[in-house]
Amino acid sequence: MAANKQQGSYLALFWTACTVLCAGLAYFAEGFGKLVLLIGLAGVVISLVGFLKIKPLEGKTANSATILSLKLLGIAVALGGWFVTIAGLHITTSVGGRMIFALAGIGITLVGVLGVLPVAFGKSVAGKAQSTSFVGAKTTMEHSR
Amino acid sequence: MNKTLSRSCFLTLWVIVLGLAFGLAVHAQTPAPAAAPAAAAAPAPATPVDSELKDAAGKAPTMMDLQKGDPGGTITGTINDVPAADSKVGVTLPDVANQVGQNKIAANFIWTLVTGFLVMFMQAGFAMVESGLCRAKNANHTYMMNFFVYTCGLFSYWIIGFAIQMGAAAGNSNLGGLNSLASEHSLSLFGKMWGLWGQSGMFLAGHTYDVGVMVIFLFEMVFMDTALTIVTGACAERWKFLAFTVSSIIMGALTYPLYGNWAWGGGWLAQLGTNVGLGKGYCDFAGSGVVHAVGGITALAVCLIIGPRIGKYNRDGSSNPILGHDVSACLIGCFILAFGWFGFNPGSTLGASANGNLRIGTIAVDTMLAGCTGTMMAILYMWVLKGKPDYSMSGNGLLAGLVAITAPSGFVSTFGAAVIGAVAGVLVCLSCTFFENVLKVDDPVGAISVHGTNGLWGVLSVGLFADGTSNYGGSWNGVNGSVTGLFYGDPSQLVAQLVGISTLIGVVFTISMVINLFIEFFIGHRVSAETELAGLDIPEMGQLGYPDFVFQPEPAVLMGQA
Repeated sequence: MAANKQQGSYLALFWTACTVLCAGLAYFAEGFGKLVLLIGLAGVVISLVGFLKIKPLEGKTANSATILSLKLLGIAVALGGWFVTIAGLHITTSVGGRMIFALAGIGITLVGVLGVLPVAFGKSVAGKAQSTSFVGAKTTMEHSR
Repeated sequence: MNKTLSRSCFLTLWVIVLGLAFGLAVHAQTPAPAAAPAAAAAPAPATPVDSELKDAAGKAPTMMDLQKGDPGGTITGTINDVPAADSKVGVTLPDVANQVGQNKIAANFIWTLVTGFLVMFMQAGFAMVESGLCRAKNANHTYMMNFFVYTCGLFSYWIIGFAIQMGAAAGNSNLGGLNSLASEHSLSLFGKMWGLWGQSGMFLAGHTYDVGVMVIFLFEMVFMDTALTIVTGACAERWKFLAFTVSSIIMGALTYPLYGNWAWGGGWLAQLGTNVGLGKGYCDFAGSGVVHAVGGITALAVCLIIGPRIGKYNRDGSSNPILGHDVSACLIGCFILAFGWFGFNPGSTLGASANGNLRIGTIAVDTMLAGCTGTMMAILYMWVLKGKPDYSMSGNGLLAGLVAITAPSGFVSTFGAAVIGAVAGVLVCLSCTFFENVLKVDDPVGAISVHGTNGLWGVLSVGLFADGTSNYGGSWNGVNGSVTGLFYGDPSQLVAQLVGISTLIGVVFTISMVINLFIEFFIGHRVSAETELAGLDIPEMGQLGYPDFVFQPEPAVLMGQA
């Protein structure tokens, strides 16, 4: 479908509605602020429905098959690592202990971000990836020669 | 007789007119009396300072002196230029003190604004780098994303983003206090208050219609836009323009400002020092984390969702080269970015005139050095291990060094800066290889590695290399003393930095991922395969970037036919 007038129209509505919504937030304490907020919210919802309506017109994309459960797991693990880091700040007061918790949290998050999610989003490619050493792996630049 | 009379009258009239004109001209050039002469002062008892001021006024160059010109600049700018509150009394000590205060704020305003203008110009550098590293058939689309992201980000930041980030940034004496920004939404946890987001400054209206707030808005806005434009490079050549627009609007309104508040707006990361005793709290001088890591991590989230370009990977998982179309655009863009970085880092003092702000010289040199060693190591890495000094990796090495030094630039020595840049130069090469060949994440310009990986390295390096000699008014994030890293005796600062890193890859990544999955559901990030193969210029933008060019047919493998 590519870019077209419908996209432009719904984008204009989305942008305007977001602005109105923020105006409602800015003046929320005053009476009309709440009304403005609701109007903005309604505009955002209408624009999102519009986006959804025209989405199938885009045509077939080259996306790989994705796995929803793995996506959720990856996000949960990524966020879980952060909780470990934060928990460490309150479990111990020693600098060394907190550092261990922080490193553990970062490690857990990296498992989610770099281990689970790439597989969830690109199973057909990442699943077949060979283990490669950094130096041995070919880069785009090397291929170019 | 009549003729002579009329000639005399005409001559007289001409002399009168000439005299009047001369008189008017002299009057126009006469400076207003700067201060009443000492003799006209009120008869109040004179203090020693007052008498010294009167003495200075008496010795100041007269109007006659100034009318002769001042080629050496030795008599311009005297007590006569200090405005007196009461011209009858003359210049008093309070007048001088007020002028000194205004001079300080004026110098800081000018410094912050001009460095902000430099950062704004970096958008041009990003546009050139990203487009140069993409194919010619997508040049218009890539340039337009970099152009339009400025509008999307700026508008979002004005309506809400700035309020979330800086809504509680009061207390900056460099810019006059910013006292109208004083509302933070906080959460009480474990007996401490933790700032979550700011609440004043939406639309820059009401009490935030203030000269100091305008300066900090401009400076912070151009930083935010830098983060947004990082994503466009990583997702180039397949990102639907509509999805890009909505994603950028939301990132400028929400994702970036949230982390910006936690680090720079008085939020919970900045409070790690005061609340739990971790060094001086999370320290990110100019934004390795706030700007570059946020941009790079969001780029990773969108790249995972959007997938690799058609033809990038073969069925066996091996990758194919997809070469950029313009070496000159790429390398000139890198130089523009390096130039803009002199606004990014030294400008982050938010002033040139205050206690500790003269460190701007060190910050500028640190910035240069890290860029230098980053380039050097990236070139050497490629040359030694791959055989050629690759241009794209050279450019990325420069940018990686600059990204990495952004957070520590205000706290480290030149030696530290050189080491940080050198590590960044190697790290960017390793990271590009890792993302491309191990994770199979297709990033056409290396933005995830340059900004994400090295942004995190920059944050970490503060906790290692900060040498404890910086002194911006005697404290940082409300904790007395200078920022000091592990190698100089304070391991707790490293823990604060690790908490920041954990937040970036845990929370910021999750927020970005959820927002962009939401956009994927409603809009879809990716253009159709047909559009992608044709190039995005005509389908998405309506015009080729280079309409007079005759494009060579691409290899079959890049058309998804292998």
